[in-house]
Amino acid sequence: MSEKNRNHEILEKVSDEPVADGFDLRLYVAGQTPKSLAAISNLKKLCETHLAGRYTIEVIDLLVTPQLAAGDQIVALPTLVRRLPEPLKRVIGDLSNTERVLVGLDIRSKTGSRT
Amino acid sequence: MNRPSEFSSIEHSQLIELQDRLREAEETLDAIRNGEVDALVVGGPSGQQVYTLENADRPYRVLIEQMQEGAVTLSEDGVMLYCNQRFAALVGADRQTLIGESIERFLAGEEIFAFRRLMTLDRGFGRSAELSLLASNGLVVPVNMSIADLEVDEQMPKVLCGVITDLTRSRERSHELAAANLRLAREIDERRRVEDSLQLALDAAEMGHWDLDLLNNTLTRSTRHDQIFGQVNGVKGWGLLTMLSQFVPDDRNAVNEEFLRAESSGSVEFERRIHRLNDGAVRWVQVKGRTFYLNDKAIRISGVVSDVTERRQVEEQLRQSQKMEAIGKLTGGIAHDFNNLLMVIGGSLDMLDQRVAKNEKITRYLTAARHGVERGATLNQQLLAFSRRQDLRAETICIDDLINTFANLLDRAVGEAVTVKIEAAPELWYCRTDAHQLETAILNLAINARDAMPQGGTLTLKTTIRMLDVQAATANGASAGDYVAVSVADTGVGMTPDVIERVFEPFFTTKEVGKGTGLGLSQVYGFARQSGGFVSIESCPGIGTTVSIHLPRATSLEATEVVADTPVEVRGKGIVLVVEDDSDVRAVASSLLEDLGYSVLEAETGSEAMKLMDRGERIDLVFTDVIMPGEMNGIDLVRAMKIKHAGIPVLLTSGYTAQRIAMAEMAEGLQLLRKPYTQVDLSLAVRSVMKDQA
Repeated sequence: MSEKNRNHEILEKVSDEPVADGFDLRLYVAGQTPKSLAAISNLKKLCETHLAGRYTIEVIDLLVTPQLAAGDQIVALPTLVRRLPEPLKRVIGDLSNTERVLVGLDIRSKTGSRT
Repeated sequence: MNRPSEFSSIEHSQLIELQDRLREAEETLDAIRNGEVDALVVGGPSGQQVYTLENADRPYRVLIEQMQEGAVTLSEDGVMLYCNQRFAALVGADRQTLIGESIERFLAGEEIFAFRRLMTLDRGFGRSAELSLLASNGLVVPVNMSIADLEVDEQMPKVLCGVITDLTRSRERSHELAAANLRLAREIDERRRVEDSLQLALDAAEMGHWDLDLLNNTLTRSTRHDQIFGQVNGVKGWGLLTMLSQFVPDDRNAVNEEFLRAESSGSVEFERRIHRLNDGAVRWVQVKGRTFYLNDKAIRISGVVSDVTERRQVEEQLRQSQKMEAIGKLTGGIAHDFNNLLMVIGGSLDMLDQRVAKNEKITRYLTAARHGVERGATLNQQLLAFSRRQDLRAETICIDDLINTFANLLDRAVGEAVTVKIEAAPELWYCRTDAHQLETAILNLAINARDAMPQGGTLTLKTTIRMLDVQAATANGASAGDYVAVSVADTGVGMTPDVIERVFEPFFTTKEVGKGTGLGLSQVYGFARQSGGFVSIESCPGIGTTVSIHLPRATSLEATEVVADTPVEVRGKGIVLVVEDDSDVRAVASSLLEDLGYSVLEAETGSEAMKLMDRGERIDLVFTDVIMPGEMNGIDLVRAMKIKHAGIPVLLTSGYTAQRIAMAEMAEGLQLLRKPYTQVDLSLAVRSVMKDQA
């Protein structure tokens, strides 16, 4: 964890240890591309609205540490990864579609069945 | 075909996971397709790399384009691969024309080598130098150029990036700053010079400077200030109270009030006395200052202080001497008129004496009246002595005789608290001096002795003889020989050496102002000198003082000369012209002369007398007063006669004997008859002048 932390930019951490049902989120960005900047901003807003007090966000700039892309199998940026609760979930894009993000993070269930 | 069986063997959970992964993959593709991402992670020979899409790095580009520094990308040999708008503006060229150009185009002479050094210095992430760019429009632009290696890819050729900062403004600013600094430095110099010369001026004027801060009551002082107050090594903080405590107790309140008043009046100026710290001397200081205000509130008073003791002494001396001069003139004037009155009375008495039939009573009355005239004449002589219009009338006298005659006077002069002891000399010594002046001198010494013994004591007056050899005499500024020393000794407070050094100075006095003239010892000194002698002082503080007047001894033989026969009037013949402005005196003089057998002509003024002589009247003697109003006084008349009537002898008369000085320049042989004169004096003088002339 400490090895990683050195290269991570921790945007915000609500508590040191993830809360029992807390969301451990990681946002991968590519420097300050417009989508990356939009994604950081959208995620922050969204978490405050829906996960207040139950989340931590790590922002990882792959322009600084490209080798970290491998770990979470990142192909496109920006990508949001839900590391906890399991299972691991991924949302790609600038997170401007709140509904899709909420569904993707299992914060709100999809209207249709999973089949 | 076992495929369906294979499928069926896949567990449900696995299926769901696969489904999810498929959905994720589809979503990723969708996101890419829909442009929801602007960067991709691509595997390369050196691991994962992030590629941003073309418009993704626009923020950087805008940043570079918008920044106020010039930015360039350079190849290893200085060819510009990129430049921003600002750089183009800096060198005054179109941006499109610059790409592919060498940046050295904008560097002149030496600057090119500096730039090349900068480029080849490949160590370090960044390096910078200050250079001058030569813009297309000919302007030289000072810049700071920082160069860094731009390591994008190992395969790429070496590329450098540079940031160029325009230093024109900052250079201007630093020039302005330097100019301002210079101005400031000059002002400081100027101010220091002014302060120095002010200090010099203050020093030259022997003035100390002080500055009283009213807010925290501190007094800043210059060295000279402390010297004036006799503060030799005190650096301790002074407040107003400290300053006040320097002044003598009687003056403190007044000084305090002066300072309080200064807060409202705006200035302070006074002269007060201080106790000088180092020697305890009372000194007069003059303090002058001005008040400074802040928002109408007095915050400090600043000014100068000087020791004005000597100035005040000089002023006081001047005042004293002017006073003496004024009193002298007044007294002299009175004495002159008084002499004329005595002349009239005395002359009339002489004539009465000859004309009335005498009986015992009349003789007694006449004698009493004449005695009165003599006493009046003596008093008048004293007045003249006081007004210093008295000549030294040297005669040979016996000191002891003289002393005995005024022993009573001495007793009265010194008062009851002081015992007067007169030690008689073993033999009678004679001196040639002015008896009256000697009396005055001894009286002066006696009065000094009395003042030195406020609690009483003993005054001893004695006469001794001293024989001085050349060496001893020279030490006293006199000639060798025998001297009669008249000593006045007291048992008083005595004097310190520095006081003794000055006691003979005119107007020097240790007595309170108004108590002494400071002329007493001056008179003693002057008189002794005039008599060919000197004065010596021995004094010891707390024990007493002895002052001795040394007068050259005369042989008693000479003394017999003064014992003259009682003179008798001498009658004569001839025509005497009496010139006198006072008609009473003229009448008396004429009568006296006629009585003596002379014929008399009268003139009221000098010019009238000249007219008579010019008319060719026979005149055997001109008898004229010296002091006469009008354009021609007695002296003027004598001068005029020397030119036109040199043959006619002149006898002058005056009560104002100091006029002799003015007459010194006149012809020798001029005789002066002192007023008041008796008929006998007149007869002898007229006779003597006419005989000389015959």
